[in-house]
Amino acid sequence: MSARKTKNGGGLWPLRCTINGKKISRRVQPNQTLLDFLRLELGLTGTKGACLEGECGSCYVLVDGKPMNSCMMLVPQVQDRKVITIEGLAKGGHLDIVQQKFVECGAVQCGYCTPGLILAAKALLATNRHPTREEFLVGMEGNICRCTGYNTVLRACELAADEMGLKKK
Amino acid sequence: MSQSTDALDRAIAQLHATSKSSSAYETGPMKVVGKGALRLDAVDKATGRIKYGQDLFDKKYRFAKVLRAAYPHAEIRGIDVRAAKKVPGVLAVLTHKDVTGTNLHGLIRRDQEVLCSHKVRYLGDAIAVVVARTEEVATAALAKIKVVYKPLPAVLTIEDALRPDAPKIHAEGNVLGEKHLRKGDAPKALREADVVVEDVIQTQTVDHAFLDLEAGRARYDGKMLTIEVSGQWLHEERRLIALALGLPLEKLRLIQPATGGAFGGREDISIQIYLGLAALKLKGQTVCLRYPRAESMIARHKRHPVRIHYKLGAKQDGTLVAAQVTFYVDKGAYASTGIAVMRKASSHATGPYKVPNVWVDVIGVFTNNNPCGAMRGFGATQTAIAYEGLMDRLAARLGMDKVDLRMKNLIRSGDAVTTGQVVPLATGVECFEAVLKRIDWKNRSYETPAPHLKRGYGVSVMCFGLGYGDGFPDASRAKCRLTDDGIVEVCSSGIDVGQGLTNMVAQIAAEEIGVPLEKIRPVLADTLLTPESGSTSATRQTYFTGSAVQLAASELKKQLQDIASAHLKELVYEIKIENGEAYNAFRPEQRLTLKELIREGRKRGFSLEATSVYKPPTMPEDTKTGQSMRAFVTYLFGSHACQLLVDTETGEVKVERYIACHDVGKAINPDQVIGQIQGGVAQGIGMALMEEVVMKDGKILNAGFTDYILPTIRDVPEIECIILENPDPGGPFGARGVGEPPLIATGPAVLSAIQDAIGKPVRVLPATPERIWRTINE
Repeated sequence: MSARKTKNGGGLWPLRCTINGKKISRRVQPNQTLLDFLRLELGLTGTKGACLEGECGSCYVLVDGKPMNSCMMLVPQVQDRKVITIEGLAKGGHLDIVQQKFVECGAVQCGYCTPGLILAAKALLATNRHPTREEFLVGMEGNICRCTGYNTVLRACELAADEMGLKKK
Repeated sequence: MSQSTDALDRAIAQLHATSKSSSAYETGPMKVVGKGALRLDAVDKATGRIKYGQDLFDKKYRFAKVLRAAYPHAEIRGIDVRAAKKVPGVLAVLTHKDVTGTNLHGLIRRDQEVLCSHKVRYLGDAIAVVVARTEEVATAALAKIKVVYKPLPAVLTIEDALRPDAPKIHAEGNVLGEKHLRKGDAPKALREADVVVEDVIQTQTVDHAFLDLEAGRARYDGKMLTIEVSGQWLHEERRLIALALGLPLEKLRLIQPATGGAFGGREDISIQIYLGLAALKLKGQTVCLRYPRAESMIARHKRHPVRIHYKLGAKQDGTLVAAQVTFYVDKGAYASTGIAVMRKASSHATGPYKVPNVWVDVIGVFTNNNPCGAMRGFGATQTAIAYEGLMDRLAARLGMDKVDLRMKNLIRSGDAVTTGQVVPLATGVECFEAVLKRIDWKNRSYETPAPHLKRGYGVSVMCFGLGYGDGFPDASRAKCRLTDDGIVEVCSSGIDVGQGLTNMVAQIAAEEIGVPLEKIRPVLADTLLTPESGSTSATRQTYFTGSAVQLAASELKKQLQDIASAHLKELVYEIKIENGEAYNAFRPEQRLTLKELIREGRKRGFSLEATSVYKPPTMPEDTKTGQSMRAFVTYLFGSHACQLLVDTETGEVKVERYIACHDVGKAINPDQVIGQIQGGVAQGIGMALMEEVVMKDGKILNAGFTDYILPTIRDVPEIECIILENPDPGGPFGARGVGEPPLIATGPAVLSAIQDAIGKPVRVLPATPERIWRTINE
């Protein structure tokens, strides 16, 4: 909705990227945020906008494995890159282990920050095979949660790490 | 792009069937109540499938934007929308002239215009609504609306508002109202007291900062106007919208989408009436509206900043004799729920302490700041910071351990609180003892790694009257219906704002009827389908709606027992229902399955549904003395302890250890109770240390999360929770509730610990590093 209509469709950007494993090739408004593009053009509403200025992590998506604030990115910035949204985590009818631990630990309350938190944890566990408590805090401090007080979030992340067999002995 | 929904549904069913909640708590012999059952909506939230207001948008819909006031206080001399209407893509530009009803809203007083006609009173006041084919066009058209103002002097402080020559914000003046409480003879008792401590405490303006921005959609099909926006009391919102727009109630349907937090911030009307108005004008079209964060913060009400003058007198041995308290409440521009917040402040003025002589005045004053209204704790939050702060000052003056001073004065079961209401089960002492034992109070250590780091220990005890109280009709309704598929639908208009109401109603119904949790289908918050259950506020849903659900479930169960009795030819009072099957307790081999019960019931003409209303009465507080034998239906108690480090060179605080104990009556779902406690403590840490809406000339200077600082995972320590369960005879399975108390108890405990560390109280909230540093060095 933030896209500006250009005359005769000119100025559209020929987007090529991969979203949740599917190749996307289409002409898009180049000044649309990645957040609005995912939600309004692709119907991937699991990515949430909350602060809209890169402070709260609710809109996290993984771009080539890195958690990025999709509210702060324009669509052309994911050209030729791989994007994973929360919808891309559960595979073959199975929840991702991080999702499962969030559910089991009561780390989900209102749920609005949950997709961003889960993706932050996914990114951390993908790059750090032995996260310490401090490393978890570094990995998760870009996400605001107003409901839980974070205790259950941290527990869910640590249990997920345990279960993935990644945690330091 | 959507994932395989069926496969995921199967995965969810499997998860609920096989996984256990990781709760450390599990209490009692019951099957469903008292268990940390997985949240019924958690998988939909963790996979991003659940739909919040903004997730209901579609590119094909129409988009609305709202024009806000350009001045905090001004007369409107003219509104010219002609240029805006000519912008290509604009479908409607609506002003007060297009509003066919009263054009007024407000929860207790209808004092706020939906679209202002002649005057604006704060920068969030709305003047026009533009509807266009895209949000961008609507935004562009807003700039084309010409409003001619005559600016008036803005009234920004309570002092300015109370000056005799102050500009009048409302025709009737700048005082919203006053509230008084008189018990004994406080002035005399203070004159005769051995010790009197006195202080002035200023609390700050706080934003709810729920993450799920105000957003939703509306559609009018010629018969029904349907509005899908998250609120906290759909039936009241429906009444307000109907009045403002001049619609009969029957033409208005409100549906609650998934809700990403509320904390009182959705109690006042937000976007509902703008959307309804736009949809009425564009019959047959769906209209969407969403606020960006800045607009959300500018438009929405806040927690009242309150200046509290507190005088507390005691005997030399620490026995409290009198309290004299004056609350100056900055109301902002409109009444909102202010009168009720003021009453909560007065009725909780001395908290859980026995004080024979009390004098309280509360005065609410209009200014041109943001309106203030409900936020978690509702006036009791600011009050607890004052009475606990004064208890610490008194202990220091008397040279007494602050724990001993509190223990000496806490009310016990059978004692009365400030309003004169006797509390049959007052468990503040039990809660307090539990946290003191956990933190090992007598052996606390002040050793720190470096001399510039000072450790402090804080404690707090609180009590909280649950529900509306004050004689206000307070009712919840519920309906339980057994479908032919063997599912029990539990209908109520309670709202799951994230606290876990879905599980609360489901677990109570499952336990009461005797069916497994997966046989329960909660149907929530849709004015066409669900009966009125009051507001989701005042920590009242577990107690009120939980009770209503239990009553309806019990009625439904009786029908099942009657069916089984007739069919099995057994005495009805010997029939048990367990796991969905009916049998005689003495002959368990002969059983009727749920399917058979439904079939037999239908054959025999049973309705297989039951409705209920739970409406325990309260008594109004006397207008002069604030006294009432039953101001609230029941009281909640809690106690916290906090250990922290203050860096005396920078003023920074690190909370090292936090313990919270609450008596919840019965934890329907212990995991969710812990979730409420930990979340409340996190918000309390935010209020104590960092959160503040900074206002200058009526404008919010930090209307965004870059500058409105919220606690992150680094700011919140492990919160050790202790749940006490002293059952309440009026609540479902003895449950009381837990929503607000954890936040109320946190600010006082943190501030108490800071005072312990630096030897002086911080009187202005939040206790930022700068304020702490200044307090140390003043």
